[in-house]
Amino acid sequence: MQRLIAWIATRPWTVLLITALLGIAATLLLIDPKTHGLRLAIDPSIERLLPPNNAERALYDRMRRQFGDSDAVIVAVQLDDLYTPAGMAKVEALTRRYQKLPGAAGVISLATVPNPVADGDDLDVSTFTQQAREHPERIAGFAQRIAASPLFRNTLASSDGRQAAFAILMGDLDARAFMAADYPGRIRALTHEVVGDAPLWITGRPIGAAATARALIDALKFTVPTVFAIIVVLLFVAFRDWRATLASTLTVGLTLVGTLAVAVLLRMPFNLVTAIVPALVVTLGLSYTIYLLSAFYDSFAKPWIGHGHARTRWVINRAGIGLMLSGATTAASFLSLLISSLPAIRNFAVLAAAGSVIGMILTLTFLPSLLAVSRCARDTRAPSATRWFAGAARWLAAFDQRHRTLIIAIALLLIPVDALLALRIHAGAEFSKSFPQSSVVRRDYERINADFNGANVISIFIDTHVNDALTDPAQVARLDELEQWLRRQPEVGSVVSYVDHLKLLNRAFNGDDPQHYAIPDSAAAIKQLLIFGGGDAIRHVVDPQFRSAAITLRIKVDGSRQVDALSKRISERLATMPPPLNGVVTGSPILATRTVQEIVSGQFYSIVIASVAIWLLLSAMFSSPRAGFIALLPTVVPVAIYFGTLGLLDIALSPTTCLIACIVIGIAVDDTIQFLARFNADARAGADEGPAVASALGAVLRPVTLSTIALCSGFLAFAGSTLSTQVQFGLLSAFTLFLAWIMNITLTPALGSKLRIVTFWDLLRVDLGESPQHTIPLLSGLSLRQARVFALMSKLEKHAPGTRVIEEGDQARDIYVVVDGQLEVWVDRHGEHKHLTTLGRGATVGEAGYFGQRRTANVQATTDVRLLRFDSQDIERLRIRYPRVAALVLRNLNRIQAERLARATAMLQ
Amino acid sequence: MKKTISVGLLALATAWGPQAIAATADSITACMRANVPKSLTVRQVQLDASDAEGHTRTLHGRFYATREDDRLRAMIRISSPSDLAGASYLLRERDSGDEMYMYMPALQKVRRITGGAVDGSLWGTDLSYADIKQIGNVFDGRQPTLEPDTTLDGRAVHVLSVTPGDGESAKFSRVQAWVDAQHCVALRVDFYEGQTVRKRLSVDPKDVRQDGAYWYASQLRVQDLSQKTQTILKVLDVQADDSLAGRLFNPGTFYVGN
Repeated sequence: MQRLIAWIATRPWTVLLITALLGIAATLLLIDPKTHGLRLAIDPSIERLLPPNNAERALYDRMRRQFGDSDAVIVAVQLDDLYTPAGMAKVEALTRRYQKLPGAAGVISLATVPNPVADGDDLDVSTFTQQAREHPERIAGFAQRIAASPLFRNTLASSDGRQAAFAILMGDLDARAFMAADYPGRIRALTHEVVGDAPLWITGRPIGAAATARALIDALKFTVPTVFAIIVVLLFVAFRDWRATLASTLTVGLTLVGTLAVAVLLRMPFNLVTAIVPALVVTLGLSYTIYLLSAFYDSFAKPWIGHGHARTRWVINRAGIGLMLSGATTAASFLSLLISSLPAIRNFAVLAAAGSVIGMILTLTFLPSLLAVSRCARDTRAPSATRWFAGAARWLAAFDQRHRTLIIAIALLLIPVDALLALRIHAGAEFSKSFPQSSVVRRDYERINADFNGANVISIFIDTHVNDALTDPAQVARLDELEQWLRRQPEVGSVVSYVDHLKLLNRAFNGDDPQHYAIPDSAAAIKQLLIFGGGDAIRHVVDPQFRSAAITLRIKVDGSRQVDALSKRISERLATMPPPLNGVVTGSPILATRTVQEIVSGQFYSIVIASVAIWLLLSAMFSSPRAGFIALLPTVVPVAIYFGTLGLLDIALSPTTCLIACIVIGIAVDDTIQFLARFNADARAGADEGPAVASALGAVLRPVTLSTIALCSGFLAFAGSTLSTQVQFGLLSAFTLFLAWIMNITLTPALGSKLRIVTFWDLLRVDLGESPQHTIPLLSGLSLRQARVFALMSKLEKHAPGTRVIEEGDQARDIYVVVDGQLEVWVDRHGEHKHLTTLGRGATVGEAGYFGQRRTANVQATTDVRLLRFDSQDIERLRIRYPRVAALVLRNLNRIQAERLARATAMLQ
Repeated sequence: MKKTISVGLLALATAWGPQAIAATADSITACMRANVPKSLTVRQVQLDASDAEGHTRTLHGRFYATREDDRLRAMIRISSPSDLAGASYLLRERDSGDEMYMYMPALQKVRRITGGAVDGSLWGTDLSYADIKQIGNVFDGRQPTLEPDTTLDGRAVHVLSVTPGDGESAKFSRVQAWVDAQHCVALRVDFYEGQTVRKRLSVDPKDVRQDGAYWYASQLRVQDLSQKTQTILKVLDVQADDSLAGRLFNPGTFYVGN
């Protein structure tokens, strides 16, 4: 590792060149040479968040294939003269224009739906508008006729007769093409050509999907530049150096480009979930650069570091462990979402983890190299607010230690309290309410939903697996009963199936006699009416073999909870149908609801996996499961508070809010790591935890606070989105990270004040020479790792030749072990220097002091020496944290003492 | 009903004699029009309508057509399946609008159907009267445009296309037909909506048959490329027949007998 760091430090231009080449390659991947636009795909459809092999999605796709897309664009136009020849002419003219919209597969309106009218043996199957033209006297009866049939009621005109409705079927047109063609704009323009300024409203799934896509793009366009602006301002305010600010901004920019290139390479589209990634990656990158810049400017306070390569090397070493651990824990937390069955969540996990790792790598390679070549240097002024932070750190350290028990108790109490509150959390998403109340898309949806008794469409797929079963009068009657039951459900606005077509046809072929608005009593009559009289409409409601059919419901709710409740009720009712009738509920609102449930169901496991993964990482890094657990606690508490807040405020777990916990776990633990790593070093150096809390807080409070400001500001940028789900995500993320910051400046120091930890990094750096467990008797029987742990729990000291390590007659309780070098043991007898012995590697000295005696001789270095020094307190700490290591060391110490005693006895004899 | 009859006529479009060396749009349409006999009987017509899932409904029937004063009279009677047997359709072309009569045996009633939506599906198939009317207009009224000759499935074809006028309410914006240069049977007809082919009528050259002087397609496929549905029309045993009974085209008697 040190060789890699040295290579980076000594070759800044090479690092910059490699990064530039990779950046150019990533940029070329991102840009389409033909269109000069970005290659990023936007997929706003929520139902496509489900995996392609999902059974419910497969059923939905089958329904769409077999009976056509039920999710049309709905246009409602206010025509005060609707039931007049002029009004009908306008409907006809509008229909013709809508039919000519590119990609429109058909239009359902008063101008295209037949209104069968019997007159003796004649049956007029022309449309309402044709009849208005050819038989104006019939117009007066249209309102009544429309109100009487579920096929027409609230489908072709509003119940007050002032609005005409048009359902434009969009065929195979995909969401992107629909959005690019600006259908709402075209429809409005076409409508105004015919009806002037008459009010109109447009809704439907394609409209919602296009509006969502537009909002996602707008959010990307807004949040990413906003976060970049925050970067520039924050970095400049914090470090007051334009070159450092630009270098950091460039680093974050390259992180973003790299992450987007990964999205293009892996063909991952940006949807409601993955659209969060760019701003998230930029925010993460910003927090990483703050840590590195803090280390960089710290280096100027240490003149002994030197300049150029040495400084770069020191900076990477200083920030490396924290940043690598941060990158690893953040990526692990994101990757815990890979257990989700939803491709969108897995894509988010991969892209966010990739962004985190790319950001970490660039921050440790590109940024220090750029700082080195740009000759960035601090002037004599201290960084902004240094004194304020130092004062705050001292006060906090004192506060945290004074109220240590109270702080820990409150934190531990918050976990079960919040867990109880979290039991009230429900999964859900309000799709129309994702848009602001003032937005056109929501206003139009709510108006049509109210005036036409429902604007969302779900379907029931009826399958019998028996040819002609659906022409059996008994089965048709059962379906008719089902329809009546469905119409009684409060969420349902209208229900239509082939049974309604059948009744209408039967009446029409029987002289318009209302008594024949009923199911014919023979299968042959049913079949003949449907085949020979049904025309085009029948193809969309029943299959050619009369074995399966679609019942279409217009519902007035779009929240996933209400949709789920209705879906469950319908499913229970469908289960009561006797064979061969089978029914399943489907439709895009159903799939969206299932998606939300799928996302939320994986939430608990994702959090557990993220926590365990991070705990394992921390345990490995701190060489202690206990230390890993303690380091995780300040992160668990804010996440618990987050869930408690959701329960308390009745906020639903949605596709975006359920990402917050994993994001926060991954990010918040970084600050804990920064503190504990610094605390560990300071506590070991000063051999005292109390001052170490203050010094560690003093060192990390500023960067931790700055990075929290950066992260919170980045997440708050989502508040500028037009989608309320993203606004909610931004506010809740910022709130939870703020809580994490509170925990890291109170709970983490309180927990850490009685803890000494050894990091894996420390272990790697300890050099005890060759086979210390075989060449140093005190370490006999230990593994190399245990020997290093002991060394780190002790103090490893260096002494120059001539340094007196032990003074005869002193009262001290330290024991020394010679790691390398030579020492002379001598006594002063009447002014005479009396040499007793020479100590080399492995020798233990000073144990008499350990057992309470005064020093009996002088010990002085004759060469450069390295000594391990420890006392009874160190042994006690070792006994608590590493009892096996302590037992072996004490055994060896006893053995050494015993051998020495035996030798002394032998000499006396 | 009248939609099916029109399709039948189109499918049976045959060629008289050899092709002119320098073909024009007029000569090609004349060649095709001349192929329709004054009267004909198709002893068996089979209609297979399939949805996107491959579910297919099959109807069999018998088809009669004749011309009176250059006006089309056509009748089809369903023979199977049994629960539809006897259902009959009669189409009578008139200057004041086409007449269509329908008989449903289960209701034992004849109804004259008026005002039918021309764009609608016929019996839940991919055929519609409007589709055929478009083609009919190519060969009947409006002047088609002759495009450069090409080959289709290895056969030399003439390409005709027609675009409805601005005042017409045709569903399709353009119709393009590939007409076999040897026997004047349309091997492919594309119906455009904007720049997109919405429907395609196609004939496999090996299904082109000759009965006496007539060439006809024994099988044609109509696909709705948007809905992914298709209808196959099989025409078996075509006979030119000048002695068809008048009762077959009479609204009062067309449904009676076999």
